[in-house]
Amino acid sequence: MSALPAIELKDLRKEFMLSHSGINSLKTMLTWWRKRKIERLEVLKGISLEVMPGECVAVVGRNGAGKSTLLSLLARVYKPTSGEVIVRGRLAPLLELGAGFHPDLTGVENVFFNGVILGLTRAEIQERLETIIDFSELRSHIDTPVRTYSSGMLARLGFSIAVNIGADILLVDEVLAVGDLEFERKCYAKIDELRAGGATILFVSHHLESVRRVADRCIWLSDGVIFQTGDADTVLGAYVEAAGAAPPVQELP
Amino acid sequence: MLGELRELWKFREMLVTMVQREMKIRYKNSVIGFFWSLLNPLVTVAVMTVVFKYLQNNPTPNLGAYVLAAYLPYMFFQLCLLDSAQSVLNGLDLAKKIYFPREILPLTMIVSNLIHFLLALAVFFVYLLGVNILFPGVSPFQVTSLWLPVLLIVNIALVTGFGLIISALNTFYEDVKYIVSVLLYLLFFISPIMYFSEAVYNAPVNKSHPWVYTLYHLNPVATLSTSYRKLLLAPQPVEMRVTHNGVPAVETYPALAMDWTMFGITAVVSFGLLIFGYHLFNRLKWKFVERP
Repeated sequence: MSALPAIELKDLRKEFMLSHSGINSLKTMLTWWRKRKIERLEVLKGISLEVMPGECVAVVGRNGAGKSTLLSLLARVYKPTSGEVIVRGRLAPLLELGAGFHPDLTGVENVFFNGVILGLTRAEIQERLETIIDFSELRSHIDTPVRTYSSGMLARLGFSIAVNIGADILLVDEVLAVGDLEFERKCYAKIDELRAGGATILFVSHHLESVRRVADRCIWLSDGVIFQTGDADTVLGAYVEAAGAAPPVQELP
Repeated sequence: MLGELRELWKFREMLVTMVQREMKIRYKNSVIGFFWSLLNPLVTVAVMTVVFKYLQNNPTPNLGAYVLAAYLPYMFFQLCLLDSAQSVLNGLDLAKKIYFPREILPLTMIVSNLIHFLLALAVFFVYLLGVNILFPGVSPFQVTSLWLPVLLIVNIALVTGFGLIISALNTFYEDVKYIVSVLLYLLFFISPIMYFSEAVYNAPVNKSHPWVYTLYHLNPVATLSTSYRKLLLAPQPVEMRVTHNGVPAVETYPALAMDWTMFGITAVVSFGLLIFGYHLFNRLKWKFVERP
């Protein structure tokens, strides 16, 4: 493939500050001379990765390994501490259940709202509106406020928007499991269709079956570094084996 | 900063949609909906007219209009600051999921309050028209009202500058919004809203220390309040109770002319604040989502 990678990560590092006293009050600002305990948490410790256009890459790893941080960095929610993120093409993060939905607005209004956040113009959304509604199978509810929706319906609507806005790169963070079986199938069919159309997909999942099903390549993230990378079967085999042999999962603080 | 502005321009449709959303949800589940926005200034002027004209027996003709001309801009200022203070915190859930220029959050509040303010100003002019029909000869429309866009631009720069600063700081120090609401309360009294700036000019303390009046008007809200009155309404002489050698008396002071020098200073301060506010916001905005 001669094309440039759709996603390029160069020695990506991300550190978070953990402050136990919190800095969200003036008291701590006014007593700045007192030493405050600030811990740094290094979540990503140098990730280098290239994802080619049309590739589907799955990221697996234990809780706290940095999977979601990685997706957030790609979605430009965080600025990297060091290193570089290069994204070529329109990127659509598949938002978690109803994030970016306002409960008091109707389905249609939320489609427009979500669409403009994802970088479309209103005219472009209008063009796609019918497709989105059809795909979500929510036509009879589309004019009622989304607070009346069930979680499955919210997931359907969110997924329909994300996959139908013509994104070049799709970021999926563990959301496909909420729809019913039929809709899940439809989602995977859509993902296959998008891949056939040249879309790049990066997804995080604990659902190993779906990783096997769609991923061309699998990345095992452990403790902020890429532990292993390769085809899904090999990496997942090692991952499952390690999970079985590993000591009990440490409690999160 | 230019790069940030270009980025903001790319997301202008999001700002429009956010404003629409804000306007929709504000009155979504109410019966008379948008009319609440118009009702607020109408009720305010009705109450003020009754209190000042009939309960206090204030002889100033058309006093309600003079109060309203300063009260509406003050309300705009107050609502913009309080709404934008919370805006980033309210939008943090969304900001944690996806990229967009963070300044859209406070700007949404400022634009939707601006729309309410413009509607309130429209009601104000209708009110003037009504008074003019009922009491012919009282405070007709002024040609100087044509300066209104200039006033509005300075006013918008001022509230946007403050809004950006306050929203950025309040995200880290939630005490900021409490401090702001106390200061806004004080601002209401140290600005010529319920009284005339001529009262300050002719106050004994200003006679002995002539810098008091200038200092008073270095407060941009005071200068804006005075300017709205001077440009939208007819000059109004002010009556004041004074004592001459222990004998109480009532004196009438002529209306002062529009002070363009002070207004110029306010304009410079407002735009300076806008640039500083945007700079500060841009420096802090990447840390919003990492707030410990």
